[in-house]
Amino acid sequence: MPDVTPAPAAPLPVLNLSVGDRVVYPNQGLCNVTEIATDEIAGQKLVFVTLRFVETGGIVKVPKDKLAKNGVRRIATPDDVKKVFEFLRSDSERASLDWKKRARDNTERLSIGGLIGLAEVVKGLQVLSELRPLPPKEREQYNDARHLFVSELAAALNCTEADAEDALDVVLFPPGKERPKRSIEEFQGLMGDDLLGDDLLGLDGEAGAGEEEPEEKEKDEESSEEEGDDEDAPKKKPAKAAAEKPKKKLDLDTETTVAQGAALDGPAPKKRGRPPKPKPEPVAGAEPEAPKKRGRPPKAKPAEAEAPPAAPKKRGRPPKAK
Amino acid sequence: MIRIVTLDEYDPAILKALGKALYTAFAVGAEHSGSVTIPPGQVEPYDANKLLDALPKVQAFADDKVLYLTTRKLSPRKLASGEAPTAGITRYKGQRAILSSSVIKNLNPDTVKTLARYAMQEIGHAFGLHHCLDPRCAMYPSWTPSYPQGEASFCVFCRDTSEAVIRQTKS
Repeated sequence: MPDVTPAPAAPLPVLNLSVGDRVVYPNQGLCNVTEIATDEIAGQKLVFVTLRFVETGGIVKVPKDKLAKNGVRRIATPDDVKKVFEFLRSDSERASLDWKKRARDNTERLSIGGLIGLAEVVKGLQVLSELRPLPPKEREQYNDARHLFVSELAAALNCTEADAEDALDVVLFPPGKERPKRSIEEFQGLMGDDLLGDDLLGLDGEAGAGEEEPEEKEKDEESSEEEGDDEDAPKKKPAKAAAEKPKKKLDLDTETTVAQGAALDGPAPKKRGRPPKPKPEPVAGAEPEAPKKRGRPPKAKPAEAEAPPAAPKKRGRPPKAK
Repeated sequence: MIRIVTLDEYDPAILKALGKALYTAFAVGAEHSGSVTIPPGQVEPYDANKLLDALPKVQAFADDKVLYLTTRKLSPRKLASGEAPTAGITRYKGQRAILSSSVIKNLNPDTVKTLARYAMQEIGHAFGLHHCLDPRCAMYPSWTPSYPQGEASFCVFCRDTSEAVIRQTKS
């Protein structure tokens, strides 16, 4: 049997820092190295690097050996910035249409991608926004990426953040030009995205689902009214909802898209659970039954209710017996 | 509080309408807080960064935003990636911003909404907002051709962000 144990990963380079250096903490932003000291923790002597966040003033102590593992890196150099601008000018970046893959990629880029990773997230989501508006979470991610990018760019170029942001946007939104409108065809053919439809643009999981909910709720209410007090009604709901669920919902999972799509073309899937009770057919000429009232029946009135009401009880101390 | 400080003469009706538009956008009081003169040594078109640094201070609380308004032109800024047309500039998350109304043709109380749109962007930067992707939002980059035609309003995301920032201010 072959040995399946993975090869040990290459050791990460140790970041040699000194007090006063400026570094970037992934997903947090710029930090200043304020102290490097040896502390004893649980009997172990470790060299800790104290980082102070420029924006919030927060302090974090990281063991020196774990700086690289945590993704702490030096600020990008002007050469890196040039490469980033070249990348931003190119029209090569296309975000995946599969929102799960896109979210995974973007999260990874934000944490370990460096300045070019931030640029990829910003560019990818910006291009995607030319196809359709971004869902709220991605809009937030776009804003976070832009914020981290601008603050690092300002530090790298030694300029104000306003200038750094405008330097970015001069590339993304060239002066005198409107943003182009993208078509879905431009995004297809990337990493198997050609199998995906319009329903995988990422809205289904968030905004799209919200729009469809009221209709489903109405359907559920209607069905529950028809069935009255039938105890089986709640059990039937999921099966019925699954059968009536539009194609968009079924296609949410990328890995099973094709299989589910194929199943839709074939015979309808057999419903699970107990079949619904047959409704009695109405007799011709007979008046339809009054709909059964729901809820607890009203309390029967006591027999004494018809008797004349008792004289109201006098308040206060009873008179003394003579 | 948003304090509008003029560097040149403006119609009081325009300033009143601008203050009203800013109050509507940020739910923070906005008023004309006097005039100052441009310090000597500056030449039109002005370098926005230098001019903003050189302008005299205005009495304001720590959380107040000061918007300097001028009719004179600001020169385009040369940046690492190209030249950026400049209608105004702000110290990001700072207190001061400058805006030139020279980008608006025929400024009058009827067209003040365009000025308000530009002003909202500068004040938005001062509150920590970045540029937005939505062309209808006031935080969309102001050098795009469609920007002056838009309404003086934020998109949902920018409005929520600005409201959250304003809620956290101390005063």
